[in-house]
Amino acid sequence: MKKYFEKQRNLLDYALASLWRRKGKNISVFLVFSLVIFLLASFLFLSRSLQVAAQTTLRQTPEITVQRMVAGRQESMPLTYAERIRGIFGVRRVSPRVWGYHYNEVTGANITVMALAGDPELGREPLAEGAFWQQGEQGRAVIGQGVVKDLDLGGRRTFSFFRDDLTLKSFAVAGIFAPETNILTYDLVLLDIADGRDLFGLADDLATDLLVEVVNPLEIATVARKISERLPDTRVVTRPQIQGTYQAVFSWRSGVAAICLLSALSAFIILAWDKASGMSPEERREISILKILGWQTPDVLQVRFWEGFALSLLAFAAGAILAYVHVGYFQAALFRPVMMGWSVLRPGFDLVPIVQGGDLLLIFCLSVLPYLAATVVPAWRCAAVATDAAMGG
Amino acid sequence: MLIELENIVKIYNQGRVNEVTALDKVEMAVEAGAMVCLKGPSGSGKSTLLAIIGCIYPPTSGRAVIAGRQLARLPDRFLTMHRRRTIGFIFQRFNILPRISVFENVVLPLLPLGMSPKERRALAEPLLERYGIAHRRNFPAGEISGGELQRVAIARALINDPPIILADEPTAHLDSRLSRDFLADMLALKEEGRTIIMASHDPLVTEAAGVDRVYGVHDGRVTKDAC
Ligand SMILES: Nc1ncnc2c1ncn2[C@@H]1O[C@H](COP(=O)(O)OP(=O)(O)OP(=O)(O)O)[C@@H](O)[C@H]1O
Ligand SMILES: [Mg+2]
Repeated sequence: MKKYFEKQRNLLDYALASLWRRKGKNISVFLVFSLVIFLLASFLFLSRSLQVAAQTTLRQTPEITVQRMVAGRQESMPLTYAERIRGIFGVRRVSPRVWGYHYNEVTGANITVMALAGDPELGREPLAEGAFWQQGEQGRAVIGQGVVKDLDLGGRRTFSFFRDDLTLKSFAVAGIFAPETNILTYDLVLLDIADGRDLFGLADDLATDLLVEVVNPLEIATVARKISERLPDTRVVTRPQIQGTYQAVFSWRSGVAAICLLSALSAFIILAWDKASGMSPEERREISILKILGWQTPDVLQVRFWEGFALSLLAFAAGAILAYVHVGYFQAALFRPVMMGWSVLRPGFDLVPIVQGGDLLLIFCLSVLPYLAATVVPAWRCAAVATDAAMGG
Repeated sequence: MLIELENIVKIYNQGRVNEVTALDKVEMAVEAGAMVCLKGPSGSGKSTLLAIIGCIYPPTSGRAVIAGRQLARLPDRFLTMHRRRTIGFIFQRFNILPRISVFENVVLPLLPLGMSPKERRALAEPLLERYGIAHRRNFPAGEISGGELQRVAIARALINDPPIILADEPTAHLDSRLSRDFLADMLALKEEGRTIIMASHDPLVTEAAGVDRVYGVHDGRVTKDAC
């Protein structure tokens, strides 16, 4: 047993030493390899991140949103509308919502201000710090990561917005949303509805729109139709409609196609590279010598295996880490043109790369395994037959 | 007899257009402790004969018994195991790997045996000392002189302490002084009781002191020459 491990160690040592001996070739293989992994991993991290972002968005999309339209544009909505909707069979809850924008003249950024009644669905999203306000507490806000930056809060935990009449209303930061909810919350200021009405100068019996929850999600379309019938001056938007929009925006099919393309490309590059470089006469001679000196074919193969494994694992790690930095820190700058559409979703939101074991495994199988096969198989063919490269004249 | 060859035939690329009969009905017997020369022109089959004696591959047909094992029956794996225990090889161009150190070249046959670095050193150091290359142990083998290279090859052939030493044209790349040194080393090994078989057409080798018998090799046929 001890002999077995000693032998493995000897072969591993020998393999690492020969990797180092062929620095020139191996460094170029390493670079090509890491590049392929980098592209593949960036793509997977990015699409996973967008996918999760879209799911999060949809999770928070109200089942039915009702807006009042006047002259083709949205108008504030009297709360009496809510009463009329509550009367429809199949409606579980109707909540008024007040929202608007705060334009930051310094940075040019638009902050979305949303004010909800009661216990908001958004209140279940994870926070990076702080807590939601208790019912009835006034002047407290939960804000997104982007708002912290945009208002340049630093360590400060208060801020003020101008009302339309240019008086100031100040808020205490009760909490900050966690970065993984960026797609929803990046530029969001969440308030209690009373604070929202105060900020936007809205009367107590008005809301911007109404959020409707239904008892049975299968009846969303039916309930929506009844609402439009009962309140002809409203526009009714349902979650399935929004879902459809996202799907069009992301166009997953092209994303999946691109992944397949990249995978095929990577396998091709690796195999082509190895075919092109192949086994040099020097390598063949080395294998012959080792065989004649009493190395078994599996010993020779193990050395080649360790060489390939060490190189590809290193390249894999380098590529994956670079991809993480690319997506997380540089916001997938290389893929922006390809993945156009997600920035439409919420301008300026921060991508958080999401790494899943399965994705890493997929990349591993598509890169390290073919590379190992490409290094071990030629050596196997050579080692099984050739002792003559070292014999003869 | 340590080595017995009966009716040995070796055909390369059998059944193809480039078929070559390298050995044709070879009969040969070598007793333990003998020093034997194979003499013949280029292409006559000397290296092939050494490869069969050295258990590198089995003959196409015939009976070959090397140190008590009949080769034809052994699969590659056991051939290699047998070779590891019984044969030390010195190649025509020494076949030293130029990019690794002298020490690493010498211990190359030990790596798959699972020996610790300490055990390897214990086996290699006396050989490096004996052949006067201890001061070169950490030099890349590509950077030492021809005479030293040849002694590295001898040290490597001896690292497994094999009873049989095979040398294929050992003096082809040495001047006459180094050739004589080499033959003196071989004689010393013979006196230790090892069996030595050298293939060469160099008269310095075939007429060297200690050579018990010279076989002539011509077109794959072996004849006994008196020495
Ligand atoms: N691996 C091989 N495949 C095919 N033919 C071979 C192979 N090795 C040797 N031969 C052929 O077998 C014959 C004997 O070759 P061998 O190398 O045994 O001769 P040799 O006496 O050692 O010659 P040299 O003095 O040039 O080393 C030659 O015709 C050679 O071309
Ligand atoms: Mg030869």
